[in-house]
Amino acid sequence: MRLPESQVAVLEAASATDERTVTAVAEETGLKPETVTGAAFDLRDEGLVSVSERERVTYRLTEEGERYRDAGLPELRLYRAARDGDGPVPIGDAADAAGLGGETVQIALSNLARKEYGAVDAGAVDPDADADPDVDPEAAALDAVATGEDADETALSRLVERSLAERDERTVRSLTLTDAGVTALMEGVEAAETVDRLTPDLLTSGEWRDVEFGAYDVEADAPDVEGGRVHILRQTAERVKEVLVGMGFREMQGPHADAEFWINDCLFMPQDHPARTHWDQFALDVPPADGLPQDLVDRVAAAHREGVGEDGDGYDSPWTEDIARGVDLRGHTTSLSMRHLSGHALGDLDPPERFFSVEKVYRNDTLDPTHLLEFFQIEGWVMADSLSVRDLMGTFEEFYRQFGVTDIEFKPHYNPYTEPSFELFGQHPETGELIEIGNSGLFRDEVLRPLGVECDVMAWGLALERLLMLIYGFDDIRDVHGTLCDLDLLRSVEVCY
Amino acid sequence: MPVVEVDPDELRRLTGHDEKSDEALVEDLFALGLELEGETERGDLRLEFGPDRLDRLSVEGVARSLRYQYGDDRGVYVPSTNDPDWTIEVDASVPPERPYVTGAVARGVDLDEAALDSLIQLQEKLHATIGRERAKGAIGIHDLTMLKGRALDGAGRSGPANSVTYRGVDPEGDRFVPLDADRELTPAGVLRDHPTGETYADLVAGLDRYPAIDDEIGLFSFPPVINGRRTEVGTASRTLLIELTGTDQPTIDRMCTVICYALDARGATIEEVTVEYADGADPPAAGRSLRRPDLAVDLKRVSHDRVESVLGVDLDESTVVDLLERSGLDATVEDGVYAVEVPPYRVDVLHPLDLIDDVGRAYGFNDLEPRYPDVATVGKRHGGSRLESAVRTQLVGLGFEDLLNFHMTDAATTFDRMGVEPGAAVLGGGPAVEIVEPYSEDYAVVRTWALPSLVSVLANNTHRSYPQDLAEVGFVARRDDDEPTGVAEARHVAAVLARPDASYEDAKARLAALAADLGADLTTPATEHPSFIDGRAAAVTLDGDRAGVVGELHPAVLVDHDLELPVAAFEFRLDALR
Repeated sequence: MRLPESQVAVLEAASATDERTVTAVAEETGLKPETVTGAAFDLRDEGLVSVSERERVTYRLTEEGERYRDAGLPELRLYRAARDGDGPVPIGDAADAAGLGGETVQIALSNLARKEYGAVDAGAVDPDADADPDVDPEAAALDAVATGEDADETALSRLVERSLAERDERTVRSLTLTDAGVTALMEGVEAAETVDRLTPDLLTSGEWRDVEFGAYDVEADAPDVEGGRVHILRQTAERVKEVLVGMGFREMQGPHADAEFWINDCLFMPQDHPARTHWDQFALDVPPADGLPQDLVDRVAAAHREGVGEDGDGYDSPWTEDIARGVDLRGHTTSLSMRHLSGHALGDLDPPERFFSVEKVYRNDTLDPTHLLEFFQIEGWVMADSLSVRDLMGTFEEFYRQFGVTDIEFKPHYNPYTEPSFELFGQHPETGELIEIGNSGLFRDEVLRPLGVECDVMAWGLALERLLMLIYGFDDIRDVHGTLCDLDLLRSVEVCY
Repeated sequence: MPVVEVDPDELRRLTGHDEKSDEALVEDLFALGLELEGETERGDLRLEFGPDRLDRLSVEGVARSLRYQYGDDRGVYVPSTNDPDWTIEVDASVPPERPYVTGAVARGVDLDEAALDSLIQLQEKLHATIGRERAKGAIGIHDLTMLKGRALDGAGRSGPANSVTYRGVDPEGDRFVPLDADRELTPAGVLRDHPTGETYADLVAGLDRYPAIDDEIGLFSFPPVINGRRTEVGTASRTLLIELTGTDQPTIDRMCTVICYALDARGATIEEVTVEYADGADPPAAGRSLRRPDLAVDLKRVSHDRVESVLGVDLDESTVVDLLERSGLDATVEDGVYAVEVPPYRVDVLHPLDLIDDVGRAYGFNDLEPRYPDVATVGKRHGGSRLESAVRTQLVGLGFEDLLNFHMTDAATTFDRMGVEPGAAVLGGGPAVEIVEPYSEDYAVVRTWALPSLVSVLANNTHRSYPQDLAEVGFVARRDDDEPTGVAEARHVAAVLARPDASYEDAKARLAALAADLGADLTTPATEHPSFIDGRAAAVTLDGDRAGVVGELHPAVLVDHDLELPVAAFEFRLDALR
């Protein structure tokens, strides 16, 4: 039989006839008492030893107790000194003769009186001649505690009360070899080693059965681990995409650099609109875009110049194809919606359809904690034969509810490309503040008819960063997006799910 | 968004609602879509609003809207006008770049300081919005009593006996004293020596002849730059001449209408002017004679069905008519079609849909019950987006921190500091797509590759713990004239391993794992790339397609980014993994 080293030692120290205490076994084997106890229990579980327990009370002298054991109890010394005199002896003289001073004098006087070794009266000690200090039970108990012998219980309690001894109660475990233990010893027991690590060798050889694993400090701190993680904004984007796909939306992708035609003109944004100056958008230093569909260009130009429908008016703004062919970084992903609605992305679409994208857009804005030159826009639209403002409200309520934003408010608003239009406001979950969380509306006839869409389309847009800030309460978006990002923040932010 | 400053006392007076507290007014204004942005030092409300309702650019217009909201007014209101006494003659010399003029006369004006401030603010706001900073339309308002009209010459011409002339003048010709000046200047002199002139010089610089309006005495208006001091309007002015010049007739007519409505609200009587375009004036205006202001009511038709389908509620026809009247419109209904009269100040109304918006606002959009549309569609991710997401997941599994960097950067970051020559035939060599007149030099080009962004993040995080293993799947672009937009767009996969013992092998091992995950066959033939150490760079070749580069970054690149440890890296085109 192979057993861990400590168990072998304990087994060999145990006896089949005598109970041996853990302390005794520890002394004999040189193991720590707690190791012996652990081994004893393991051996008991194997049926090799039996373990008995009993409560044991022990006493130990305090420093004061030790002192009195050597010099004698103060009351006895005072009594002896007083007895040497003739009749009552003044306290001072007796104390001097007994070699007592300070507070021991008081201790001597009160105990002398208690034990009736004499009377204390009028500043003098009057000893009782019949008393016998040599058989004082408390003095005897002092000696007994020091030598580990049994003593009178009453005297022991008194010593504890006088703080001359301390009482200690503990479980004493003793072990005895069982028959199986005896047999095992006779057949031979080998010591197995204690190991630090579980190695492949231990596992394949089966040696793991015979080794003892050293115990760790399992409460100690472990080193930091920097696992990779998906960027928090990407996580949020994934969450948004999951929600929208769940609501029946198909994802759009398309060019970041696009003709102004798709970015602005299709949206019925007049070419001299203030938002179309280079201060608001990023024009690219490339030749004018080629390949705009001429029939669509003509219809869009007509919408700008003359309006759409019998009673529709156009803008009194110049419209030229040159401006429409200028290439910009898109200021919104509505350019993708225009490409899809016109049939130039996926071919002609028949209602009903739902589409979305979560993609980057570029705006020439002032950089500050809540505005970046590039951010992600969540864009979504629904195409159906007949859609109302109520459908729009219901769709957005459902979307925002997925992110814990309820009680959406719809504020009538103006966009050149939607009518009616609404800004969406929601309550910040933490601050309770009403913040703008999106912009929406039904696309105007001037947008849809030139694209060849004869049914209704409702659309909305929202900055993904705004949603992230709403969920996480970030106060500076620059900490997470861009090369100024703080790796520690990215590594420590909670995941989004 | 435009901001208009409105004196709440004026608002109470003009609406006739003295009992309204400031708070109550703010609430009513929010319902109109005018949001309180703050207050001025003297307690005026700073209101922010969408730039469509130009009629609300002044306290008079805001008050009119409130009166409709309160139900004090209903239906269309058009000020009555008197017959013209004055004529604006348009000379054939008018610069063809600014051929149009319009105007009006207002009599019996009572301008206190507040009213004068409001009028000046209205002018400024109209300039800033529909006037496109005066390029499309510019307003001049004059004290008519300071003008000396010309007698109309030419036999057989009828009309009033007082006229002023809009003409083109020699920039260094006529002299006049402009506002806020005390000496005579020529128009060109104004552009050189007057602060307002300097501000608007670009609008006329380059014209052979400058726009000018003069009377018997001389030049009194230099549109679109500045008025003459002689005709300056003050609180004592009782009769005003309003003139507007611009690049098209309808725009300046609309601006004129908004001003006439505001002056009418102040108790003025509007008097028409005659605008006489000379036969030699720029077509198509040549020879036309117009009566202005044009306060004609527009008529638009909208069907009851469309109103109901857009709002999603069933309404009685009489209710719709009522809601239209409460919006300051008039309507009659016949065979389910409303004929809606739209007053001329409603310059925002382009289409019948805009009237449905009015009905909705009057009904109260927030009283509509949201409903989830009963429309079934099937949702789906885009293939490209799924691939990108899968690659990102694998990179994270390999221990990379996924990053997100800006697509706009500067040439130094994308080329110079990486040791790459712009236009070089290597990954990241571009040529870069440049931004026209960039707002900031830090954002002047679109990044040609993603590694420079990651190396910048390393440079900005040297105080953070290592290893720093970073990756990004992101957008890059380069000039390519074969593309319809002149821009070739792509998504790249880039990664860096910054650690004291980073080596080529570390980068290749992870690259190989990623390629295997995506089922691509990776080979790494030796190559040269200026960002990498010679002999420790390879072409990332996926299924035979040379898609990028892998290697150890060159010490010169590291030192330039203040990095004090080796960096192994790779970057390749995402589509090579398809």
